[in-house]
This record gives sequence, C-alpha cells and structure tokens, in this order.
Amino acid sequence: PLSKNPPEQHFQLSPAVRIAPTNPASFWLSAGEIVVTEVNFVRKCVGPNSSPDDLWGKLVCTNFKISFVTHVVYDLLPLQKFQYTNRLLGEHDIPLAGVEQVVTVNEAKGKQKVLGSNQKLKFSPTELMVYCKDFRMVRFRFDEAGPDSTKKVCLAIAHYSQPADAQLLFGFEYTGKCFHSDRANGLDPGSSLQTALFDCSSDWDREIKRTGASDWRVCSVNEGYAVSPSLPEFFVVPASLADQDLKQFSVSFAGKRIPMWCWNHSNGSALVRMASIRDPLQQRNLDRRICSAITKSHPKCSDVLKSDLDRSLPNIQEIQAAFVRLRQICVIEPFEENEERWLSSLESSKWLEYVRAFLKHSVEVVYMLEGQLCSVMLQEEEDRDLACVVSSLVQLMLDPHYRSLGGFQSLVQKEWVMAGHRFLDRCNHLKKNDGEECPLFLLFLDCVWQLMNQYPAAFEFTETYLTVLSDSMWIPVFSTFLFNCPRHCAERSRDFAQSESIKLGENKALRFPCVWYWGHQFSVKDQALFNSPLYVGKSVTCVHNGTVKTFRRTKKSHSATLRGPPSLPNGLTVELDTLTRRNSLALRLKPDPWQPREVPESPAERFSCEWLSRPVDLQGLLLPQLLPSHLQLWRLYFLRWVPEAQISRGGSVMAFHRLSLLADEIETLQNQLRQHRGGTPASTPASTPGTPDQESSRMYFKAGTPDDLPSTPDYLTSSFPFSPVGNLCRRNILGTPFSKFLSGAKIWVSNENLANETL
Amino acid sequence: MEKSGSADSLGSKRSSSRQPSVDSLTSTNTTRSDRSAHLRSAVSPDAASARTDLGAEVLKESSRIAEGELQLLPRESVQDTASDVTYICPFLGAIRGSLTVTNYRLFFKCLDKDPAFVLDLPVGVISRVEKIGAISAQGEVSFGLVCKDIRNLRFAHRYQEGSLKKSIFELVNKFAFPVSNALRMFAFEYGQPFPENGWKVYDPLAEYKRQGLPNESWRITKANEHYDVCETYPATLVVPANIPDEELKRVAAFRAKGRIPVLSWIHPETQATVTRCSQPMVGVNGKRSKEDEKHLQAIMDANAQSHKLFIFDARPPVNAAANKMKGGGFESEDAYQNAELVFLDIHNIHVMRESLRKLKEVVYPNIEESHWLSNLESTHWLEHIKLILAGALRIADKVESGKTSVVVHCSDGWDRTAQLSSLAMLMLDGFYRTLRGFQVLVEKEWLSFGHRFQLRIGHGDRNHTDADRSPVFLQFIDCVWQMTRQFPAAFEFNEFFLITILDHLYSCLFGTFLCNSEQQRLEEDLPKRTVSLWSYINSQHEEFTNPLYVDYANHVLYPVVSMRHLELWVGYYIRWNPRMRPQEPLHQHYRELLAKRAELQRKVEELQREVAGRVAVAPPEKAGSPAGSPVQTCV
Repeated sequence: PLSKNPPEQHFQLSPAVRIAPTNPASFWLSAGEIVVTEVNFVRKCVGPNSSPDDLWGKLVCTNFKISFVTHVVYDLLPLQKFQYTNRLLGEHDIPLAGVEQVVTVNEAKGKQKVLGSNQKLKFSPTELMVYCKDFRMVRFRFDEAGPDSTKKVCLAIAHYSQPADAQLLFGFEYTGKCFHSDRANGLDPGSSLQTALFDCSSDWDREIKRTGASDWRVCSVNEGYAVSPSLPEFFVVPASLADQDLKQFSVSFAGKRIPMWCWNHSNGSALVRMASIRDPLQQRNLDRRICSAITKSHPKCSDVLKSDLDRSLPNIQEIQAAFVRLRQICVIEPFEENEERWLSSLESSKWLEYVRAFLKHSVEVVYMLEGQLCSVMLQEEEDRDLACVVSSLVQLMLDPHYRSLGGFQSLVQKEWVMAGHRFLDRCNHLKKNDGEECPLFLLFLDCVWQLMNQYPAAFEFTETYLTVLSDSMWIPVFSTFLFNCPRHCAERSRDFAQSESIKLGENKALRFPCVWYWGHQFSVKDQALFNSPLYVGKSVTCVHNGTVKTFRRTKKSHSATLRGPPSLPNGLTVELDTLTRRNSLALRLKPDPWQPREVPESPAERFSCEWLSRPVDLQGLLLPQLLPSHLQLWRLYFLRWVPEAQISRGGSVMAFHRLSLLADEIETLQNQLRQHRGGTPASTPASTPGTPDQESSRMYFKAGTPDDLPSTPDYLTSSFPFSPVGNLCRRNILGTPFSKFLSGAKIWVSNENLANETL
Repeated sequence: MEKSGSADSLGSKRSSSRQPSVDSLTSTNTTRSDRSAHLRSAVSPDAASARTDLGAEVLKESSRIAEGELQLLPRESVQDTASDVTYICPFLGAIRGSLTVTNYRLFFKCLDKDPAFVLDLPVGVISRVEKIGAISAQGEVSFGLVCKDIRNLRFAHRYQEGSLKKSIFELVNKFAFPVSNALRMFAFEYGQPFPENGWKVYDPLAEYKRQGLPNESWRITKANEHYDVCETYPATLVVPANIPDEELKRVAAFRAKGRIPVLSWIHPETQATVTRCSQPMVGVNGKRSKEDEKHLQAIMDANAQSHKLFIFDARPPVNAAANKMKGGGFESEDAYQNAELVFLDIHNIHVMRESLRKLKEVVYPNIEESHWLSNLESTHWLEHIKLILAGALRIADKVESGKTSVVVHCSDGWDRTAQLSSLAMLMLDGFYRTLRGFQVLVEKEWLSFGHRFQLRIGHGDRNHTDADRSPVFLQFIDCVWQMTRQFPAAFEFNEFFLITILDHLYSCLFGTFLCNSEQQRLEEDLPKRTVSLWSYINSQHEEFTNPLYVDYANHVLYPVVSMRHLELWVGYYIRWNPRMRPQEPLHQHYRELLAKRAELQRKVEELQREVAGRVAVAPPEKAGSPAGSPVQTCV
C-alpha cells in the first residue's frame, strides 16, 4: 500500500531524471496517428496523495490517445503492470474515445473546470483528472511542467476526446492509412477468422443449414439498403414470403424493418425479431400475415408467441441511470465510506435487477421455444436495442455453438452489428448530450458473465475476454463499435474515401477492421488469456480403441448406474430421465400432480425449476439460476481498478491458473499422441475442428517440467490481468473543495461545463 | 502413502459388499446424499470410469439411497410409523405419505408420487416441536418443526385426542430431546467402526512440537492436568518458561473463569505469538494483579523482535466497560507497560443469535426477489462476519508484519476469542488449511479450549429459548468459507467438508461436538463411547478434498475484508430451496481433467512402448520409459 507521504517538495526531480531521454519503447504511433501536443515532467499519480512511487514522464496528446511516456524505464513491480500488452496502446495510455470527462484543477487557486471541446482555460492547471468510460480515474500533476504546454495539452485532450463528427474518429485515419499501406485493412482479414460476419448471403445460408431451418430463405431485397436503412443487406425470412410481399410490408414497419429471423430450434421453432408496426390500419392484417408465414415455416405449424420487450424490460435511459449509480458506488465514492451500506447501495443502483430482468425474460423466451415448441417473435419499438440482448441471450442458452469463441463472436455480429444496434450512439463516441448513451452491450456481457459464473465449463472464453471485448468499444478503430448499422458503416467509409480521394479498388468501400481480428490488439500469447482451460481441456479428443471420441460431445444419455438418481435439495428424488432432454420435454411439462405451491409459479419458472433439478448437460440447454442470491456483481469488470478490493494472490485467477496448467499438460499429451500416431499414417485420427494447434498451446499459463515444484506467480491478483496501480486515483477528497465537486451527481452524468470555474 | 493406505482399506471394505452402515450413514444426512448426487451428476461417465481406473477415487456406488427405503444405522431402531401424515412443503405444497421416527432420525416418504419424495433428517437438527393451531375440521393436527439448519418443516396428521395411541410427534419430541427426557444421545449407541480413529487426530504434544515447542521461552505445563487451574481449559498448556506453575494459579484468580493467557500459536521465524485468555477481573475499582502483569510481560519478553504487546479485546468498548460492573473489564495501559489495547467491536452471542434469526427469515423458505440485498443487509449477518474476519486479519497482520505478539480475549474467552485465534491461525499457518490441519485447529482452539458446544447448540435439549444458544461456530465456518472463496487454491478441503461439519454439529451422530469442555468429554468417556466425526471424514477424505489445492510454503493469506467480496454462503443457507442448484463446482471439472490427463498419459506411454517394440533395435532407455511423459502424475 502506498502510505502517507512527506510534503511534495521532497520529490524534486533528480537531475538524472531531468536529462534522461523519454523511454522510446513505451511510445509509438499507430497508422494515421499524429502527435498533437505534449508536455514534459509530468507526474502520474499512483495513489490518492503524492508518493515517491509516482511516475515521471511526458504527457502526449495524439489524435488517438492520451499517452504517458515515462522518462526512465521504471522497474515496476509485477503487481503494478498489466499482464498483457495492447498493440495499439501503451501501458499508461488512454484512448481518447474512452475519456468520459476531463477535469483540470488549480489547487493553489482553488479552481477546477470540466473541460469541453473548444474551450478556454483561464488558469494554468496543476492537475488533470481523466475520468474514463472503463471506470479508470487517472491523475496527472504538473508541478514541474511548463504552464503553457500544460494548458495546451489539457485543452487538446478535451478537444480531441469530443469529436464533433464521426469522421473525426481516429478509425477513419487509421483505416485510410492502412488501406494505402501494404498491410491493407490491417492484418490479413478473411484468413483464420472463424467468425461469421453475416455481411454476405452465404453466412446466413450456412446459419440456416446449421440450425436446420428448412422453410426459411435468405432474401436480398435490401441489397444496397434499398428497403430498410437499418437492416443488413441480407437477412432471413419465411420461405413463403416473396420479395414483393416483403417490400410491401416494409412500409408499415418502424424503420422499414421487415421482421428478421434470428435462429431456429431443432424442434422447428424459430426466433424472430420485429419492429413495431407504424401503420395502425395495417396492424392486424400485417400481424396476421407475418404470423401465418412464420407458422408455415414451422414443421408442426405451431403458433407464434409474441414477446413484448418494451413492456417488460427497462428502457435505455433506466439502464444508463443504473450504470451511472453503479459507477458511483464502485469507483467514485470513497471505499470505506459506503462499505456499511454497500449491499443496499448495490441494490438501489438497480444494475443487478436489470441484469436479472434480461436473463429472466430470456428464460421465458427459451421456455416458449423449447417448452411450448412455439416460434417466438421478439417485439420492440425499433428492434435495435433490447431485442439484441434478449435474442443473443436466448441463443446462448439454447445453442452451445454460441458458447464457443467463434460462435459468440458470430452471435454478436448477427444480433448486434448486423441487426443495427446503434453502437455509435449508445457508446456516445461523439460525446453528445442527447440521452442516447446506454451501456446496453456491457449489460449483455454482464448477463453472459452471470451464465459463465454459474456454468464455468460451458464457455470456451473467459471473463477476461468479455472484459477486453468491452474495453475495445473505446478503441475507435473497429467497425464493430463505430457505426449505428451496416449502411451507416458503408456510407461513412465511402464518404471518407471520397473526401480523402482514396481510390477504391474492387471492394466498394474502405473496410474497417472488426474487433474480432484480435491480432490488431494482442499477440497470440496474450490472446491465450481468452481461452478457458475447462473448455479447452475437455474439448481434447481422445483416441479410444481406435475410434475418435470427442469429450466435448456428451449429449448421449448418461448411464444411470454411475450416477444414481439425482435428488432435489429438499429430499425430492427424481426418476432419472433416460430419454434425451429434448424428447422428454412433453413429459416434463405435464401438470404437476401435487397441489400448487403457496407461491404461484409461472410455467416458465416451473420449467426452469424442473431443469435445475436435473444434471446439467453443458452442451445442451443452459438456464441461469435467477434467485437474486445467485446473481453477483461482476467484480473483475467493476472493481478491477479499485486497489482496496484487490485480493493479492487470490481471486478466481488462482483456480484459472491451476486449471490452465492442467489443460496445458493435456494438450501437450494430446500432441504427443498425435505425433506418435502420425508415425503410422493409417491410424491418424481425423482432426476435429477446435482441436489445438500442434505448435501453440492455447493456455496462457504453461505447465512446467515434472521437476518444477508447484508454484504460483506472485503477481496473480483478483484484478488479473489488469492492475489497479495508477488507474484509480481518487483524491483524498475529505475536506478539500474537490470533495464537494466530486460528490455532486453531475460528474459522469453530464459533460456540461459546470457553471463557473470557481467554487 | 497414508492416503493410498486409507483408500485401500475403504476399497476392501467396499468389496466386502455393501456395508449397510456406510450406506446408511450417508443416507442419514440429506445434504450429503444430495450433494454427492450433484457431484456425481457433474461427472461424465467417461471421466468416472477413468477415475475408477486410477484406483484413487473412492466411488461409493452404494451410497445412494435405495429409493424411498429407510436404511438403519447400527443400533438405530424404528420407534413408530404413522401412515397418514401430510408434509406441507413450502415449495411443493402438501404431500401425503408416511412418517417414521427412529431413535436417530425422522423419515418421511411419499412413494406413490412420481417422482418419489423423501425427507430424511436426524432428529438432532430439530430445535423445537410445536403444535400449530387447533384440530381442524378433518381431525388433523398441525406440527411445526423448527430446525437448527435454517429449515422449518410443517406436518399435519390425523390424530384423535384421548385415544390410546400417542401422536407420532410426541415421539419426535421425545427422541429429538434426549437430554430433557433422560435418554441417551444416539451418538452413544452408534458404534460404526471406521478404519481410522478420529479421536487421535489431535495430540496436543505433537501439535506443539510441530510449532517448535517447547523452546527456551515457552514451556509445556501439566499444571492443569486435573483441570484445577481452569476447568474449561485443556490439560496441556503452553506458558512462558519463566512463569512457574504456582504463579499460574494466582494469574487464574485474576482472569474470568480462570482462563489464563496461554499460547495458541508461535511464528516459526519471528517467535511472535498468538495467546488467548479471558477478561481480567478488573472490576469497577480497577483491581490489578502483579502476577497477571508479570505474565503478560513474560509473553512480550518471549518475543525478542518487538518490545510491544498488543491486546485485542474482541468486544465493542462499551460492552467491555459494562463488564466492569460484573467484576470483569479490560487491561488498563497504565498497569500493563508497553501493551496496547485494541477493541475489535465484535458483538456478543445474543446479537449474533438475533442476526441469524433474521437471516433465516430472509432466506427461508423463499427469497423476496425485489429487496434481496437490502434485506440481507438488514440482518447484519455479513457485517458480523466482516468484523470477525477483520479482527482476525488485524491479529494475523500484527503477528506476521509487525512481528509483535498478541493477546486475544473477549469476556470468557471461549466464543469470540476462539473465532479470532483460529481464524488468525488459519491465515498465518498453511498447516491448518489442510484437511487434517483444520481438524487439529477445531480440536485445539474450539474443543480443547472449551467452546461450549453443548450450551451454544443445545444438543438434545428442549429448551430452545435458552439464552446460551448462539451460532458462534457457524460464524467461524462461514468465515472459513469466505476465505476459501477468496483463495480457491489455498485450502485442501472443499465446501462440502464445511457443510458436513455443520450438519454433524447438529446431528448428534458423532461425539465430536458433544459436551462443553475437554474435562467433560473425558468424564463422559466420549473417545471410547462415541465415534469421532473425523473418523468418518478421514475414511473418505477424497470427497472432502479440493483438487485445486497447492501447498505454498509459509504463505500468509490476507483476505480482503470488505463487503465487496463477502458473499452470503448460498450453498449452505439457501440449499433447501429447490430453485437453487449449487454453483457448478470447479473442483469437479478439475477432477475430470485429471482423469483425462491420466488417460492420455497412459495412451502416450502405451504408444511409446509400441513404437519401441516395433523398432526392435531401439535404444533401450526409450522402451517403455515413463520418463517420456513430460508431466508428473499427482492425483
């Protein structure tokens, strides 16, 4: 812990540091990046007070990031470092798009100001606080820096972090430059990406085949965005509807969004999403025609059930407000002060309540599809927000494919990017103040985390992956999070190309890299952080008596002799179900022979309860436990910067570490086995998709030699692979005028310049 | 070696086909069988068979309850069966079936339902049997059973007043409270032999020897051999070397209940110690005791690293001061030179009992969905857990980082003091984090130092309103669970071990938690007349083992004691709710991976041998050499 500090004068720079050149290794420019301005002899604080551990360096503002380049290579303790390197960002860098608020302070004069774009600053700042969208709070001090350059840097940061237009986002410069250079579009797109992008009809076609949706077809009426501005060029509709019908229908839907197919259950039920019908005269007729088309596409012609999302789920303003309250209690309020009321504060933030609401609603939809064997239509006013969360969650619960890394990315691509979730507006990249900002995607990732927390072996990826994915929203380079819909992306790229007179080749538009090209950000080694050892270990194929047996597929019925009858906690023993899960459904849904419970239970709840009383098949249906006691705060995401909450040599990473070593050993053995088999070609087993590369292990932690004693790296903490050091500098705010300022709800809520500069 | 030995003996027992007692032991405990069903269900058949191949896993196939059948323990006898009983389940509604009462358990079954329903609990768990309301129009009487394990059960049955036949619930009343009914507890009947005698787990001399005691500053004394210095203390004590036995008696006169400061733990390097005692009998007049002051000075002097002594008084300062009225109090810093007194603000047994009562209201039977967290907060349960852990953390930190000896006490030194000393020792010493070390810790700091289990739990006692009852030990286990959550690889035992301890805290099947002190246990001859819980546990340690465990030498654990990390132990408090499934145990997955690794290793070796055989002139060191395997096998 960084304890009390002597007065600041003690930390005069030593001459050695003054003349030391900037450490070049920690600063580089990406393609299209330019330095705007910089200031030397800046101190980055690592604690609430000045400390001898503070770092000295140069603060640089580029058109992409705020960079802090230390004057010397500090011999940081492992604990102080991130355990991964981002290729686009240095250790201390903050992407401008991730800046929430910039506050300048002059302590001596007792002044502070929230800096907006194009503003003036009447005092020279002694301190700069950068509040980040990812919850970091970074603090720089300028006691030794030149006042003029200090001012310039602060103003530049404020200005460049609030671009007036989307084309000013760094991604355009980056992509433009990449286009010119040899490494067009970054790192060889197309190759080795196991993620379906759903920007072409073949991806949809494959998805139809994969899910066995026989009476559905890919339609191309929206090619060139001719019908709906927010739908993708290709999507899937009931086979019984002709293009002509679709065009005719589209007029009546909000955003001209023709109902769009998401997914098919193997029982034939389909999941469809739909915007509201704007034309009241057409409503009934249209409704009927759409429903009957969907019914026709169902092999058993079962009914279509509707799920009204607007009515049962919180709206985007409520979600944003919950997020702001959560941020307040997690990082803004002093740690000890809200300790006593932590649980009730957490409750009143409502964040977990909303997480639960989305999960619960998704379970209900799952019940309709799986339990009632009906197709489901998700209805939302615009079909671009809540439906993204619900449809993705439903598919994650029902389809194990989406719990693999590639599958999950395809799911985001299909239900978020292509379906026209307004990432640009919801991320508020343009720092507007129009109430459009909403962390809906983060909420979705939190829901996924809850599932993952309950069923850790069911997912190929880790919570680190989810965290890094959400952090990538603030790196404005990836097409994934930069636009409001595919058309928006296409138009903006075209316009930019024209304005920069970039000659476009066969591809009509500049192609922004999507976030799934993880090579843009991370080395192969660091990408291993994404892989769950439980999943990887189990997916290893075993050659058993000459036949290939995949451990991943365990769908067959389990032998009763080995497991015995499962029983409910209350002593209820259940007849072991020897039928496969899906077939037995009808049986399970017959009315409960016992008297009803005192607490009335919905059919979906009963369905869920029944399911929970059985052993889980991780490759089958996965339902979350929805008791509020089972939903937890996603600590890695929300508390990773909080030094007081960091468990040294503890946290779930300790289990992750152990599991990784074991999974790595298994992989090594597997490779050995394959090599041996390779010696006799006849017996080489067909490699199964998803089996590891021979060369590179998929585990971040590698098993050592047999002689190694079991040891654990000292740097493992509950924040792994992140580090809170220097990333959450709450000021010692008690008694300072700053405290008043910070405790005001205005911070984080609005970017408005607080009325005046002085208090 | 030891492990494989016990596995063998169990294996042979298993092969001698279905030892009924082992079966029924497992079936006596609903939790246990439920849990193992869950555990087993998480194992894929492949892994399970691989597991038996390894020979290390003790798969007790026979541990399943033959459906709906009551399997009696040795010397368990059916007292009565009533066939027309309705169990009013808070989750499933009314269920009609038959209820059997034995001298050990209550067994309700309903077989004509599909799926069958069985409720099986030791009567020791029951804290109160009460008749609810009057006889209904149908001639039915309702009975409520309030349980010590966060359950309430409600039954109704037809019963004619004045008839010769007694209600079956009168029998429940009789066997649930053997102490009040002058009956023997079932622990004295049960005589199941186990391969290991758990009563031998803790040998004080061996444990002190492990700690490097006696040494030049500390000596082992037999002054309390006949329990006449302090009747609630163990016979073997460790005291400063320069305090003679005669003086101990004078110190005892100044400490509540004669509980003098004695050593619990010594730091292997710094010699800083954790010592425990009861409050000094200062009283309103501020009495002093030269011997006591000298005694504490000796404790401080025994540690050359520090010239200070920290006295941790577990109580809130107000309570400590109020004790002066009753002759007690706390050390004044005037009287005790170089000692610093710190209050840890942990509340008394009555506050804790009330907190658990509120917690039960909040979690059983159903959880109110909309206000879960604030309801939980209003019970203050986690807040109390936090204060206890925080106190233990301060003690551990003082000893480890401050290299300073500490004295811990509360009022009598058998509740909060036991919590603090044992938790601090758990943080400081990795030995106590092993399966056996933890048993030693419980035997030492709780049982031998006279935590009054009989009074706090009220074994077999009808008087459920007894103000001496309090969930002190439950809190300790909860704190341990919190630590296992923060350090998933630091403990050799798993959650199921902790739950099993709590279940048998109430079951009265084992003698371990009976009586209030070592002296009483010897008087009752418990080691001869009853079975130790550790006999049972150590005979199937595999089930209680955390496979993720790594033994880090000298690794001190500093948990983060913050509400951000403390959680309600849902696997214990909410386990009765059918909508709850225990969190997928990582352990189980880890075991599967271990099995997989073993299988692959075998295959690689097989192939290597095959290759070596085919290449007839292969270098000899290659043939069948297990060195070809790059990994160690440690299952």
